[in-house]
Amino acid sequence: MEAKFSANAKDVMSKRGLKEADIADVVNTAEASNRKLFKDGVNLAKKRIGEVTMYAVYDNNGEVQTAYSHRMVLGEPVKTTDEPDLSDWTCKHCNERAVIGSANMSYLGVTRTGPAIVCPKCSDVWIEEYLATMTIAAAEGLFEKKKA
Amino acid sequence: MSELIGETESLCPECLKVIPAKKIAENDNVYLEKTCPEHGHYKVLIWRGVDDYKRLSSYAPVPSKPEKVAVKKDNIVCPLDCGLCEEHRQHTCLVVLEVTSDCNLKCPICFASANERYHYNPSLDEIRKMYQTALDNVGHPICIQLSGGEPTIRDDLPEIVRMGKSMGIDFIEVNTNGYRFANDIEYLRQVKEAGVDSLYFSFDGLTDDVYMKTCGRNMLDFKLKAIENCREVDMGVTLVTIVSPDINLHQIGDLIKFAKKNIPTVKGIHFQPLSYFGRFPIIPKDENRTVLPDLLKEIQRQTKGELTVDNFIPTSCTNVHCDVKSMSVLMEDGSLFPLTHRAMGPPKDTCCVATKTRQEISDLWRYIDEGMESGGGGEGTWDEFLQRARTNYLTISSMPFQDVWNVETERLRGCCIHTVTPDGRLIPFCLFNINSVHGKTLYRHEIFEKYATKG
Ligand code: SF4
Ligand code: SF4
Ligand code: SF4
Ligand SMILES: [Zn+2]
Ligand SMILES: [Zn+2]
Ligand SMILES: [Zn+2]
Repeated sequence: MEAKFSANAKDVMSKRGLKEADIADVVNTAEASNRKLFKDGVNLAKKRIGEVTMYAVYDNNGEVQTAYSHRMVLGEPVKTTDEPDLSDWTCKHCNERAVIGSANMSYLGVTRTGPAIVCPKCSDVWIEEYLATMTIAAAEGLFEKKKA
Repeated sequence: MSELIGETESLCPECLKVIPAKKIAENDNVYLEKTCPEHGHYKVLIWRGVDDYKRLSSYAPVPSKPEKVAVKKDNIVCPLDCGLCEEHRQHTCLVVLEVTSDCNLKCPICFASANERYHYNPSLDEIRKMYQTALDNVGHPICIQLSGGEPTIRDDLPEIVRMGKSMGIDFIEVNTNGYRFANDIEYLRQVKEAGVDSLYFSFDGLTDDVYMKTCGRNMLDFKLKAIENCREVDMGVTLVTIVSPDINLHQIGDLIKFAKKNIPTVKGIHFQPLSYFGRFPIIPKDENRTVLPDLLKEIQRQTKGELTVDNFIPTSCTNVHCDVKSMSVLMEDGSLFPLTHRAMGPPKDTCCVATKTRQEISDLWRYIDEGMESGGGGEGTWDEFLQRARTNYLTISSMPFQDVWNVETERLRGCCIHTVTPDGRLIPFCLFNINSVHGKTLYRHEIFEKYATKG
């Protein structure tokens, strides 16, 4: 599958400083390995490239709708309840409905938890767009800014 | 073994003539060496740790230009043709505006030599002109420190503040000894309501013997009362602490503890190693000098490693040997979590954080405010960390001012902290204050005396 980019995706990616080649790599790797989430015609894939985890949201034709990234390193899921809410996503690899859980996230020596989409079977963890671009971005920004 | 590591110019402590100076590395120290044809040879310690001194160069700011220059002429002789002039290599981050040379104290140590020789009390009109000089020459956000003398001896301080804000000054802090604010909370409230964003509050130690040395009297009770009043009216405070091995170097750790306890009223501590200009009791020897690396090592030692030397980085705005800064979040257990570390490397953009802290921080909080909408808080989460960082942070910074002994034009040229003068100039703060051993200044008294009443 060859990754294509919607106008919206191009716009968002340029604002977020994401390269098309990297996001295409995310899509290709996910398709080759079957490691991704899906729900009604949409796929969510991620890949750590260098110091950054990149995400692509794309349809079944490989057209990327949006993309985002974070620098935090995702760790193990953290169990917060015995009955987590189900998410809309299903893990392609396990064919298992993913839940809304919590996971460790580390940045510059600090590890705290944050909300994440978790596959109960393989324990793989994904961060949704709103979180990556809000809380996580703010936390990363806190460190980055305070360097100055 | 001695190695030449740099060349610059300096001043003769006797006659203030501009003379060439060499930076020499010797026994792991860096010295400034200079000779006046008339008054002889001087060798002054400027740094301990030669590698550290050199390594910091990677933090060098991208040179910038003043928005405008007041002095336009050929053959500029720095620092005699200040300023700013076309050779200056940095814009203005903080404008120091002195509203009086008088003071309600007469400290044995005072860089402004307050209450001596003349009384300089610019009229509202003259102050308006100085605000205008800042507005004409400095890019936004414009940060002004009202200073002196002691600004709070003016009953019209609230009016001065309102005028600045209405003219478009973005941020105003007041440099104060806190004495009146301790005694008169109503006045403090008026100053706050007039628009003062924070206080730059001299706080030299936690025992009265320290204040006997710095202020000539017991001051601790007033200092503590002033902080209490600031808490009451919700005025943010940066503690400004003179540092000298002869006075209070041993109290640094306790001062940091004190600051932590008084977060969020106290936003930061600024350590100000004693410089020898204005009124000071001695001619300094190297062992009286607290150079930046000494201060940082003491912080590391006295906080038992809670903060380390590496948590302090140059702001990359002024010359790299002028200042350092750290920022930390106060954690649930009362420990400081430093957000700054030299391992992160120099910052990408060069904007002056030390002096624009408030502005920077409010930007940051806006950023965090947006981040907070995601919910998902609770103990140990990133949300909670951000929430803490919003209010429970502490900035620790330092900028050892230069005096006639250790001054380098290299540092002056990169300076971003400028005193605005009633004759429409902006002059690097150190340079404005520097005086010879005979008390002659290049700028301070020469300028203010013209606008002062004798007495
Ligand atoms: S300090 Fe700057 S403005 Fe002043 S004379 Fe030197 S270069 Fe010019
Ligand atoms: S050091 Fe400050 S409080 Fe003391 S005399 Fe000078 S201006 Fe006044
Ligand atoms: S005021 Fe003095 S120490 Fe501070 S930046 Fe300017 S030259 Fe450097
Ligand atoms: Zn799975
Ligand atoms: Zn001389
Ligand atoms: Zn600056």
